[in-house]
Amino acid sequence: MAARAAVEALLREKKLDRTLTSTLPERPGEDAVSPVGSDALNRALAGGVPRGQVSEVVGPASSGRTSVAWAALAAASRRGESIALIDTFDRFDPPTAHACGIDLSRLLWVRGQAVSKTAAAIDPAWLPGVRAVNGPGTFLERVIDRAIKSLNLVVQSGVCTLVVIDLIDVPATALRRLPASTWFRIERAIEGSDTAVMILAAQPVARSAGGRSMVVGGDTRIQWRGSHDRTRRVIGVCTRASISAARCSHAQDVPLATTVVNALT
Amino acid sequence: MFAALYAPSVPAAALAGVARQFTPRFEHLGAVILLDAGGLSRLFGTAQQLGEHLRDALSKLSPGDTIPRVAIASTQTAAALLALGSPGLTVVMPGKEAIVLAPLSVGVLDQFERLSGSGLRASGPPGLQASEPSGWHHPRHTHQASRGKRRAPDNRVLDILGKWGIRTLGALSALPGPDIHERLGDRGAYWQQLARGMDARPMVPWVDDVPFEVSLELEWPIEGLEPLSFVLARLLEPLAEQLERADRGAAAIYTSLRLTTRSVFTRTLQLPAPMRDPKTLRTLILLDLESHPPDAPIDVVRVFIEPTPARVLQWTLLARAQPAPEQVTTLVARLTALMGEGHVGSPGLVDTWKPGAFEMREFHVNHPIDNRPSPNSHPIKESSIAELTSALRRFRCPVPTRVAVHEGRPVRVQTDRQGFSSGAIVQAAGPWRTSGEWWEETGQLASGPAGQQGGWDRDEWDVAMPDGTIYRLVVEREVGQWCLEGVID
Repeated sequence: MAARAAVEALLREKKLDRTLTSTLPERPGEDAVSPVGSDALNRALAGGVPRGQVSEVVGPASSGRTSVAWAALAAASRRGESIALIDTFDRFDPPTAHACGIDLSRLLWVRGQAVSKTAAAIDPAWLPGVRAVNGPGTFLERVIDRAIKSLNLVVQSGVCTLVVIDLIDVPATALRRLPASTWFRIERAIEGSDTAVMILAAQPVARSAGGRSMVVGGDTRIQWRGSHDRTRRVIGVCTRASISAARCSHAQDVPLATTVVNALT
Repeated sequence: MFAALYAPSVPAAALAGVARQFTPRFEHLGAVILLDAGGLSRLFGTAQQLGEHLRDALSKLSPGDTIPRVAIASTQTAAALLALGSPGLTVVMPGKEAIVLAPLSVGVLDQFERLSGSGLRASGPPGLQASEPSGWHHPRHTHQASRGKRRAPDNRVLDILGKWGIRTLGALSALPGPDIHERLGDRGAYWQQLARGMDARPMVPWVDDVPFEVSLELEWPIEGLEPLSFVLARLLEPLAEQLERADRGAAAIYTSLRLTTRSVFTRTLQLPAPMRDPKTLRTLILLDLESHPPDAPIDVVRVFIEPTPARVLQWTLLARAQPAPEQVTTLVARLTALMGEGHVGSPGLVDTWKPGAFEMREFHVNHPIDNRPSPNSHPIKESSIAELTSALRRFRCPVPTRVAVHEGRPVRVQTDRQGFSSGAIVQAAGPWRTSGEWWEETGQLASGPAGQQGGWDRDEWDVAMPDGTIYRLVVEREVGQWCLEGVID
């Protein structure tokens, strides 16, 4: 404890005490958080995703990570807020999002380049007359760079109160190459504002001191209905979400059940 | 002080020309031109001298046998009625309007209404406004529209006044006001107000159709956007001032650049909301030109703005404040310059069964306030389990895959792409067969999954892989090609 006190005193002396999580000001009131569309998740998140902070949702494929992010977007759009999705690889599906409850007219959808993970397939719909995807680095790095720049523009404008950046299909190596200042800049841009940023990724990327980490997955079970091959259909996924924050000593587990939307539901 | 000119034999444009020689503030009341004569005494002397100047100017236009009518009074109504009812020049001292108007015939009120048409009626007393379909219009629209839409007046009041033996304005103004209102309603009270020379509304000066256009011929051709931004700033600032003076905003900006190759490069920007901030307009033009640069140095820069009535903002205190349209438009323009056209906006659903079909719409934040729950809203249930709807992550470029089929069902998936799981299928559900638009030569949808333009005929499967991933697998029935279309997440 003495060592900690000494470090804190040194930071205060150097006027770097804002880096201490204990000195960060708490935003009072219900408006300090952006509730997601689930009561259980809201309770575990202490009301919702904190505004002015960077939170993250991570997990493996089919764990329900995207569903959690879309639920947050849907809840914000239902409250009449403007929301944004930075869709790095153009994976968003509007009909399904509508079924999830997202008010599409309130969504600012920034579509990235539809590219497969091999970086070989380039979307032929990338229209002529716009800037070519060229510049330093590999093609994939340039696509990610554009997504990060878009995120910067959106959070600096303050137009949207919940901004989700989808980095799920970004390879881990490419994410590791991003400089740490990338996320500090985002944190700085939204600090004290009404905007909450949510990073959607396959593995932990970044989170601000007051943000939340939602790790989805683990003990995942796919729910099927119908005993015969011809009548069987997938109805949902049961899994768990582990929610942690800098000021909480232990993570909270929340059971998560997602329902698959298809032609029969 | 107001002056009224009336010369039936002189065209309205010529009358307006005379008025413009004296003051820029004048109004068309049908064939009567009403001038705001306040402050003209320094230029033209007393009211009498001003009247003589006006009469002389009109006499030059009128044929010899007609006498132009000029009236000067402290109220616009008195001036207009005297111009209609008294020949020659009439100058009324302030406060003497009712006395001077008294000998005029009541018919002049009917004539006054005929001439002024809907312009004056619409701004008359509340009762009259309620009985008329027209509301408040911009003066330009009012006057221009009134000429063509003049209707036969309602002479009921005039008939009743005739039966009562009321022949002059003096007799009408002498009647008790409450009794007039009781018997003739709002219209009667309004007529009595006119007969006393009282104004029912302020003057609405005529606004000329000024083109919101500026151009600049450069001494030396410029190349690149940075020097152009200075030129645009110089052009847009006076244009924005002009818009502000006219209470207008820009609905569209036309930027025309004459290049050194003698060709003209034109760009058009349609703005989602009227705006006139020069910095925002310049940023939008530059961002557009950044995406669509001219291919030669620029000789002449011309900016034309299509004006529209300025916005009236009235927000509720009970809802979250929305960002300004300028802010949103600039953000969308910046994002479009970065990501490309068609890659920024709001998704919209289209009326089709085509899987994944959508269209890109313009993003805006001015949504009507509606507190009703949407039919698609999901009420939050109090539960210990977080119940959500699964998302589908759609591969806009479907991933080709090799699929082993046993008894008509996929049993194994193999793909060469990194990051996708391959192997034996644990469980499969399907097929869900859909087809459509096979009757179309080409697809009508602007957007949709790549490679699926036009009709479709396919089977969909939901397959679970050993690592727990659930893919949506499709097979194009015509060609038998299997693809991973998305992952349920």
